[in-house]
Amino acid sequence: MRIRAIGNLLIVAATVVLSYGMQVSKPHYAELTAPIPIDGAMHDTVRARSFDVRLDRMVFARTLKTNQFGQERLLTTSGLWAVAATNLTATSTSTTVADGTWQGPTGLRYRQTERLSYRQDMPPHAVDPELERSGLFVFELPADQIRGASLLIAARQFGPLDAQARISLDAVPTGADGQPADVLPLYDLDAPAPPQGQTRQDQTRQGKT
Amino acid sequence: MFKTARSKFQTWITAGAGTIAALLVAGLMGAFGALPAHAPPQLPPDAAIDAGRWRVQPARAYVSRAKLYGVALKPGQKALVLEADLTNRTAQSDKAYFNVFKPDGIDLPDSTPMIALARDSTLTPELHPGMTERMAYVWPLAGNAAVPANLSFGVTAEIFKPRDNLYGTPGWFNSYRLGTVTMPVADLPESGS
Repeated sequence: MRIRAIGNLLIVAATVVLSYGMQVSKPHYAELTAPIPIDGAMHDTVRARSFDVRLDRMVFARTLKTNQFGQERLLTTSGLWAVAATNLTATSTSTTVADGTWQGPTGLRYRQTERLSYRQDMPPHAVDPELERSGLFVFELPADQIRGASLLIAARQFGPLDAQARISLDAVPTGADGQPADVLPLYDLDAPAPPQGQTRQDQTRQGKT
Repeated sequence: MFKTARSKFQTWITAGAGTIAALLVAGLMGAFGALPAHAPPQLPPDAAIDAGRWRVQPARAYVSRAKLYGVALKPGQKALVLEADLTNRTAQSDKAYFNVFKPDGIDLPDSTPMIALARDSTLTPELHPGMTERMAYVWPLAGNAAVPANLSFGVTAEIFKPRDNLYGTPGWFNSYRLGTVTMPVADLPESGS
């Protein structure tokens, strides 16, 4: 009789512990409906649900030069400008890719800048299947957010349960102090194509994939 | 001994029942809301203020009659301008800084200010975590509005909830008045910048 009572008590205690554990470890609603990350590296084609994206080039600069309504504008920043040059394609239907976020090593999220006015190569990028299109994502960030960061690209800003390309930026060369190896004093967004060596490298990469 | 203590307690309850009931009913009906509220504290104008998701440091306030930071004024209008350094204290880019400052005791035609980045006059850009930027709050005023030499600005903050009540997502809610910061207001002549 006594053994049976102790057994019952043990079962009750175990149930309480189990229930408490389940309550504590229950994922938040925000986690349950978060975008689904698809990991990749620089120069790899990352296949998200509605689009494919390949990060070709990262440029860091202290000042950006752009043309706005025929006027030249110089954009300064208290940190650095990071310009991500990507190659985008749609998977099955024409769509848009609108959201770019820079996630720093500690998880701080820097959304793409709003200081550049509308440009052809800025988000939202209209993409079509089988047609490659180059698109820029421009960020403003402190220099200590570059090492260990990743680039998040999604079709829209609030896309619960939609795919989000998460491109690791470990390939970006940084110095001992975490600053990127080469920071341009001025980067002209309207300057023609990147240097030849870079494009040739990209083409061979493309041939491989 | 217990008997006397018990009867004493009963006497207290019986005598106080009316008072307790009156307090409860008054509380339920919201009578205590009419008590004078504590005045929000005076904040130092020369130190950074942690106001919810923003760290703010007011720099200067002035009245301008010319176009500034790309904000065009209607003819006959002038503008009250408050320049402040804003730092995003949260973990993501944000632009919810519209209600941080509000001038007290001035008749504003539109209480929502135009807010420009002092760096290059971009209107209401998102500010990024940990990157301090000088922002200019511009409130258009009627041309003949009187602006006191020392003007107090109410500072509004919000509280962080790790889980909100509806979806359990983290966010900033329940804005409250953190305090008041008083700034001298310079009056710039027509040609001033």
